[in-house]
Amino acid sequence: MLARALEAEGIATTSISMVREHTEKTKPPRALFVPFPFGHALGRPSDPDLQHRVLRAALDLLTEPAGPVLRDFPDDAEPGVEPPAPAQASGIAPAAAVPDDPALETAQMRQYHEQWLTRSGGRTAFGLSGVPATRFRGVVRFLQAFAAGEDSDVEERPADLPLVNFIRYCADDWKALYFEGRLAMKPRVTGDDVARWFWGETAAGQVLRRVRDRLDASEDPRWKAAAFGVAR
Amino acid sequence: MPRLDRLPQLNRNNLLMLPVQVNDTAPFTRLVTPLAAARLAIVTTAGLHRRGDRPFGPGEQTYRVIPSDAPTRDLIQSHTSLGFDRVPMMRDPNICFPVDRLRELIARGELGGTGPHHYSFMGAQRDLKRIQEETGPEVGRRLRDEGVDVALITPT
Repeated sequence: MLARALEAEGIATTSISMVREHTEKTKPPRALFVPFPFGHALGRPSDPDLQHRVLRAALDLLTEPAGPVLRDFPDDAEPGVEPPAPAQASGIAPAAAVPDDPALETAQMRQYHEQWLTRSGGRTAFGLSGVPATRFRGVVRFLQAFAAGEDSDVEERPADLPLVNFIRYCADDWKALYFEGRLAMKPRVTGDDVARWFWGETAAGQVLRRVRDRLDASEDPRWKAAAFGVAR
Repeated sequence: MPRLDRLPQLNRNNLLMLPVQVNDTAPFTRLVTPLAAARLAIVTTAGLHRRGDRPFGPGEQTYRVIPSDAPTRDLIQSHTSLGFDRVPMMRDPNICFPVDRLRELIARGELGGTGPHHYSFMGAQRDLKRIQEETGPEVGRRLRDEGVDVALITPT
């Protein structure tokens, strides 16, 4: 779609495709279908050789004389260890004993997140809500109150940002803090491991399940859509 | 390997429900400049942007401009769908925004260079009308004005 719009303006494009069935229908001018799990467009993180092979295969399509052309990246390059799509909350049973103090747990995870920031050189997925990690305790209280059916707000929410969008950013930041903290704690875990730990064993995961439930119970389609983004 | 038949049913159904445009042909611009002399820009649907930029909202069909020399620590992703694993991106942004790989290609003389900017849209869109008619062509014109020959389009 996007490729078609750019191409019509005189820009040659080559696309990486994750869903072959969709690409067969939309027919971008040149597309490379990659057999990788969602979130792995160029293969594997920190594997420059595989990333270069994917990039090269995508760029090679530019020599094709005509299109649309859809080529498959060879199957034997599959990363293999990750499932094709991440585990979801609905498929993960909470552990028998889950910590019940999200604020304390968040304070502990923040220490691991500090380690993550040191190792990543400051790169982080945290920051969509605009509330700094040092004041995130207020966001945790806000999400707990929302999950319990209370109406509350956070003073950092921009006046022009709808509450439901802000809730989503807060939930995303909370996940980012935990996911990256977990990666600092256990550098070798897979994304699937981290998702199973978050939804199964953390207090934060259980609060976000309840945030999802309240959003999903609304008649407002924007709230329902946000619920699908918080947990599913 | 997100082949539909290997996906959990929840994901498969979600994908099958996405309205997809059906086309028979595609507009096709030949790349006349050899790659070793061509300028490339990434156009990603990963919902990436600079940290100070306004995050994408759901269904937003606008785009964000990312200077091609921006360090990856200055970028953040507001496409946070649970449909894909975010851990690879946390570990290595090159997984969908391969700026380091492009620098290596340029250093090896296999690619001419990059344009001054990369561009980013929100992914997992249902309604694409405005991208098709307005914001997509606008990015195409900007790329042309910036002397870019090739766009590499990457998803999450």
